[in-house]
Amino acid sequence: MSDQKQVLLELNKLKKYFPVRKGVNLKAVEDISLKIYEGEKFGVVGESGCGKSTLGRVILQLYPQTSGACVYYGKSLEEVSPAYVAKEIAHLTQYQQKAKEFYQKSLEIDRKIAELNTRLDALSAQGTDREVKAHWKLSKEIAELEYRSHELRKDASRQLREGSRTAGSLILCENIAEIQQLFQKALECSLKAREAQEQYDRSDARYGEALVEGQADAQAEKELEEYGTQAAQYRAEARKWREQAFSFRGKNIQMITERCGDPEYWDKLDRNYETGINLGKLSPSELRALRRDMQMIFQDPAASLDPRQSIGKAIEEVFDIHTDYGPQLKKEKTLELLDRVGLKAEQYDSYPHQLSGGQKQRVGIARAIALNPKFVVLDESVSALDVSVQAQILQLLDELRDQQGLTYFFITHNLGVVKHFCDRVMVMYLGNLCELSPSHALFDKPLHPYTRSLFDAVPRPAVRDGLDASGVLEGEVPSAVNPPKGCPFHTRCPHCTDRCKTEKPAIREVAPGHLVACHLYD
Amino acid sequence: MSDTVLEVKNLVTTFRINKKEYPVIRDISFEIHENETLCMVGESGCGKSVTTLSVMGLLPENGAVRSGSIKLCGEELLGMSPRQLGQVRGKKMGMIFQEPMTSLNPLLTIGYQLTEGLRQHLGMSKAEAHATAVSYLEKVGIANAEERMKQYPFQLSGGLRQRIMIAMMMSLQPRLLIADEPTTALDVTIQKQVLLLLNRLKQDMKTGILFITHDLGVVAQIADRVIVLYSGSKVEEGATRQIFENPLHPYTNGLIAAVPNVDSDEFEIRPIPGTFPSITEEIGGCRFHPRCPYATERCRQEVPQALEYEPGHFVACHKVEEENK
Repeated sequence: MSDQKQVLLELNKLKKYFPVRKGVNLKAVEDISLKIYEGEKFGVVGESGCGKSTLGRVILQLYPQTSGACVYYGKSLEEVSPAYVAKEIAHLTQYQQKAKEFYQKSLEIDRKIAELNTRLDALSAQGTDREVKAHWKLSKEIAELEYRSHELRKDASRQLREGSRTAGSLILCENIAEIQQLFQKALECSLKAREAQEQYDRSDARYGEALVEGQADAQAEKELEEYGTQAAQYRAEARKWREQAFSFRGKNIQMITERCGDPEYWDKLDRNYETGINLGKLSPSELRALRRDMQMIFQDPAASLDPRQSIGKAIEEVFDIHTDYGPQLKKEKTLELLDRVGLKAEQYDSYPHQLSGGQKQRVGIARAIALNPKFVVLDESVSALDVSVQAQILQLLDELRDQQGLTYFFITHNLGVVKHFCDRVMVMYLGNLCELSPSHALFDKPLHPYTRSLFDAVPRPAVRDGLDASGVLEGEVPSAVNPPKGCPFHTRCPHCTDRCKTEKPAIREVAPGHLVACHLYD
Repeated sequence: MSDTVLEVKNLVTTFRINKKEYPVIRDISFEIHENETLCMVGESGCGKSVTTLSVMGLLPENGAVRSGSIKLCGEELLGMSPRQLGQVRGKKMGMIFQEPMTSLNPLLTIGYQLTEGLRQHLGMSKAEAHATAVSYLEKVGIANAEERMKQYPFQLSGGLRQRIMIAMMMSLQPRLLIADEPTTALDVTIQKQVLLLLNRLKQDMKTGILFITHDLGVVAQIADRVIVLYSGSKVEEGATRQIFENPLHPYTNGLIAAVPNVDSDEFEIRPIPGTFPSITEEIGGCRFHPRCPYATERCRQEVPQALEYEPGHFVACHKVEEENK
């Protein structure tokens, strides 16, 4: 295995505003950019109202994001082939066309500027009042045109950048129409592969069902083989078309803008090529299909269970929605899940009120992991539990991660839990990232003043003489509707300077992997 | 002792479920002195809250105190009429609950709710009550108190509401303050503010505090003495230092080991195995034995008695008893 960590999710300037009334927004999440790696236990801490729960839900697209992107790499784009890809492919020639148009326009303006400049030079030699006025007018006109030309050039490269998301540097090729067709063919094959895969899953469910009943379904077995090879064939074909398209890389380059000849620019465009799934662009049904991969465990397990539905049925519901499993297979899978989360088989027929809080949370976990997800958001999932039960559930989560290769996004306000459970921790305040670091580094050396006061405020189970009043934060968290200007924490910060009141601190990497947003570390 | 504020002796409280009586509190005794904070810890369902409800006489209809005695400043509370109890509640003992919003009336101003008790229990005039209320708001660290008096609960944050509850209780200068998970719903930074405040008020006014919590971190910060409850019985009692530095009962040990500590580096998640028994469950002998790693035949048969091992340090466990013979 390589040491290179695989990115599972990438957030890019993710923002979420909730409208309060016209023109007034609650800024719940502000410009969060980060990467979550496969198999990681990523912790988010902060006080209530800091936006940690909102962030978790925006990632799962339970709330649509206001701006920014959330890209998922757990499945390849070809595997899912969402509808937005077809649209983007159909748009490829237009991106190129528009970029060309914008650039040509800017060249035209440049010519005009040159012309005006010669007139300007001729003018400046003389010096009557009228001429000074004309001179001034002309230079103003030139400045305006220069600005427009600059903007048009920016527009042109923006078009190319958009196109490069689906085609990489191929967007610069002269034969873009041909490339577009190749991509379309590849997409058609991917869609057929997806269909074959769905057929395969259906047959697999039937085969499994028959197996539980103790007999082999020969028909289903035959279908399995058939659809399996079919899917593989289509996938190979799609790959072939795509490879053919990419064979044009660096050839037939069209000088759309002046940078197009530069191989470094090609590399830059190639890096834009998206292999992940942009969750914000998916249609509701596509998103629903992807929910198998991304699950959530809530704080209050009782609230997410129907009091009149038995535990077994509650878990089977997951299979009803997402799979074609028959009744026998469903039950077998459910019993297996019960065992895996440490519940007894007898509890299949129990009702929620017969279980303790910890057991109910185990049911919540069983439901979340039933479909072998890759990514699980845990929103204060152990906060309502007693310490001894909390420790049991954390242990279970650890085991499941090792068995199934899960990735956790662990939201909590309990710093002790974060320290001992998470690999990396992000501290949030008023929707902003304060500090992000591997958890041992964060707890050894907290840098942000907010992180430090948060640590000081945690009650320790160790006796000290008297209650230590140091590091107590004055005041309360300001409202996210009208957050403070500059650094959001400056109203409570003991190190606040004038600069903090006006300028928002940038996020800096002060040690490898240790990010902090504070002027103290500039 | 003359400075004893609350004396609970051999308290037994039962709940009627499906026409059967189940003991929830099994023979608990404790005392609280002036200027002392007694913390009761335990997992949910261990009887912490039922103890406070028994003391206040606020048990739900299906609950009843079966035997024992509860004395507040030497006065027996059991057997008092509801009217007499109403006089004692508020005046001599104050209560703070977990969620301040459920104890504040959303339709009345803070000022009205603060002065109501002062006028009723202490017979103050409107103006006097107003001045006193403002002075107490200032005491609990609320800026522009006059403004706040006119506001409604929904206009305040959780931390402020809890401060107002504390001001409301303390303004009546009770001898005993019962705080049932008062900081559980608050963020850590606000929690620390409230704990500091309670500590200061206790010293200023020589109040005894019965503090209920499940958070051992909070216990270590605020308690003078600690009682550990398990399934309705007192398993260990001692000074805070004794409990944290020399925990004797296996359950106390397990509880402390299960807290993920921010300061320690070597923490392994070490849960207490098994689940907490429900009150309807019949368990012979020590109620902890099904989850105890040291359980013996004797533990299954015989209920352990609380014995004193150090001055003021009581433990109910056969293993500890045998080791210290």
